[in-house]
Amino acid sequence: MSAPYPLVHATASAPLGQRLTVAEEVLKFVRTKPLGAGGALIILGMMLVALFAEALAPYDPYRGDYGLQFARPSVDHWFGTDEFGRDVLSRVMYGARIALFVGFVASFAGCTLGGLLGVVSAYWGGKVDLILERLMDVLLAFPQLILALAIASILGPAVQNVVVAVAIPIIPRAARVVRATALSVKENPYVEAVQALGALRRRVVLRHIVPNVMAPYIIMLTAQLGGAILTEAALSYLGLGTAEPTPSWGLMLSGSAPSYAEKAPWIALFPGIAISLGVFGFNLFGDSLRDALDPKLRKT
Amino acid sequence: MAPRIQRHGLAVTLAALAVLVASVVAATPAAARAAETGRRGGVLLAVIGADPPSLDPHQESTFANIQLVAPLYSTLLQIDPYGYPKIVGDAASEWKIAPDGITYTFKIRHGIRFHDGSPLTAADVKATYDKIVSPPAGVLSIRKNAYTEVASIEAPDPSTVVFRLTFPSASLLNNLASPWNVIYPKTYLDKDPNYFKTNVMGSGPFKFKAYTRGATFEGVRNPDYFVKDRPYLDGYKFFISPETSVRAAAIRSGRAYIEFRDLPNAEVEAIKKQLGDKIVVQTTPMTGQFGIAINNAAKPFNDVRVRKAVTLGLDRYTAGKVLYGITGLKLVGGLMRPGSEWAMPEAELQKLPGFWTDAEKSRTEAKRLLAEAGYPNGLKVVLKNRNVKLPYQDFAVFAIQEWRRIGIEAENRPLETAAWFNDGQNTGNFELIIAPTVEFMDDPDQFLGRYVTGSTQNWGRYSDPRLDDLFSRQARTLEPAERQKLVNELQKVVLENAYYMPGLWWMRNVVHWAKVKNYVAQPSHYTNQKLQDVWLSED
Repeated sequence: MSAPYPLVHATASAPLGQRLTVAEEVLKFVRTKPLGAGGALIILGMMLVALFAEALAPYDPYRGDYGLQFARPSVDHWFGTDEFGRDVLSRVMYGARIALFVGFVASFAGCTLGGLLGVVSAYWGGKVDLILERLMDVLLAFPQLILALAIASILGPAVQNVVVAVAIPIIPRAARVVRATALSVKENPYVEAVQALGALRRRVVLRHIVPNVMAPYIIMLTAQLGGAILTEAALSYLGLGTAEPTPSWGLMLSGSAPSYAEKAPWIALFPGIAISLGVFGFNLFGDSLRDALDPKLRKT
Repeated sequence: MAPRIQRHGLAVTLAALAVLVASVVAATPAAARAAETGRRGGVLLAVIGADPPSLDPHQESTFANIQLVAPLYSTLLQIDPYGYPKIVGDAASEWKIAPDGITYTFKIRHGIRFHDGSPLTAADVKATYDKIVSPPAGVLSIRKNAYTEVASIEAPDPSTVVFRLTFPSASLLNNLASPWNVIYPKTYLDKDPNYFKTNVMGSGPFKFKAYTRGATFEGVRNPDYFVKDRPYLDGYKFFISPETSVRAAAIRSGRAYIEFRDLPNAEVEAIKKQLGDKIVVQTTPMTGQFGIAINNAAKPFNDVRVRKAVTLGLDRYTAGKVLYGITGLKLVGGLMRPGSEWAMPEAELQKLPGFWTDAEKSRTEAKRLLAEAGYPNGLKVVLKNRNVKLPYQDFAVFAIQEWRRIGIEAENRPLETAAWFNDGQNTGNFELIIAPTVEFMDDPDQFLGRYVTGSTQNWGRYSDPRLDDLFSRQARTLEPAERQKLVNELQKVVLENAYYMPGLWWMRNVVHWAKVKNYVAQPSHYTNQKLQDVWLSED
């Protein structure tokens, strides 16, 4: 018995667009999203300052010059000195480390855990989805900062505790966004096909669903970074973040800064500018990245 | 002419009298204030920097306790509100010390009633002091070491209390004026000696109204107070905030009229600049110093070389210059307040580790000792602290940056007040911990009792028979010069072995609105807190 119809291997013949190199992608991003590029530049600047703080900072951020308490901004001390005679510029530079460390680690941990829960929730559905979603509802019921405050006050003031306190409120937000995308991906014919072929659940999730929810995941990641820096600053400001004498922007704003707002406004001014600039940079970059990765927006 | 001369003479006499009166008034401002006619009414609004770990002053040693609850209670004796360190009666109307010095008899005033209406009698005083001197199991009495001479307390009749001692005491009368020794009703103590950790039942000028943790503490006028026409105020209300700037802002905005503990000079200057004559600042040296307890029971500080290194690593003379403007910490001294009759002479003090005037020499020696103890590259430690900004955090920042110069990396770990007490005082769960020694008056029994083996205030958990012996001997030495020698000797043993490292002695700025009348800031922020004579000239 020969087959009534000859088996023909069909091959796609549509012409593929030329693949852009990384440099070309970057240039395209800069051209089409100049604000986002500005944000990226700010982030890059912050990262460089944080990485090379030892080389860039003019003074030891912990060491006070006791003869120079409350020195005004000058050629020697561009941002002035604080109540212990410590150089504010050096402390702002080192503060970038804490801000970026907490921002990146907390956002990555929160978004990754949230994203995984979102995928699991969407793919397994049923009771798993129900339980996870109610759990997320509970976490979402608390405003982000209030939840972080509660966690930080339980764990106590330390950098690693701040990371946990900032990361946990991110989890339900990331879980919701990723779950919504995963639910739609799950219904695609190629997922149904691979399931019909008998692929293991693990393979379906890791090879076919996770790669397709990466866009919202990355957007969440960048969107939460600015918020995480702000939350770290808020926790430190309220005495629940990093402790003195660690150079942290939020901590520099709190503590003695309000007491000396009239006498030495520069103690609060420059860390305040640094926080604003950092959050501004991440938000600009995050917005532009969302536009760039969103297929609907890309078409228009 | 004669009449003219007479008139002139009269004028001169009147002028001379006026000058004399003015000079007397200027010399005794407190007495003058006390003599002003008080105005009834109004609620005194105050700010305070922390919540109390518990409401029982017998078990606590923080301003956060006594400033809130002192107006609710009576004590047997008290420091004269207008004349530190004179001792006057409170519940006791008079007292007599027998010629042998071992029997003290107190007469209790008639007509004192607890807020539940029951009378305060000698039985209540006896029950209170029994709890302090010989606390039952499960009850903390952190000042019991100050009463080792007390053999028995008797109440032969409702208005007489007799303290019998084992030896004549140099400090008993001072210790009986302690603001912490508030009198509780016996009936409540019999039921539960820990009742007062969470409840209040006193006989003071004010009754307890409400306490919301982290927010407010309120008292309301006791109309049945035993002092006629007192108190003047309808009540008092404390707002609680650990943030110095918040408390200063409360004063500036008029939301609070007084901060009883201290505000830093920078805040005081700003408040004065804005409010001018509406504000009064009372600055006094304080019977308290900020130092660091070292855990002698655990590594690495069970090694005297490491303990000496940390105390050598703190340049106290520079600290006084740097910290005074921002915290009020100023004076370098030993374990008794510099300037007081018990202070160690400067020349003797400067021979002890940590008090050398050559800071570089101290650092070199500290590094050598660390290397000898097996830490040639320095070491990392955790410095536990209280989450109260002034002056705990600033003092820690200074100490930490000083220690970096000898290779010690210290992590500052601020804790909420109750956790700080628990780790420091109760469990010894620390390596280094900021532990001020603050007492209500300059008295060796009060300040030095904490260095005795097993004292609840011995946070560093050391035991040295020489200290126990010296403390016991000075407590029973009535001759001041002889006692001074023993007090100095005890200080030397503590400082030479670095059992504890004192930091700086404090200056206190009490800032209040001028409308708050008749409050005299004393060297201690624990005393004169009953508020019975305080009044407001306007609401």
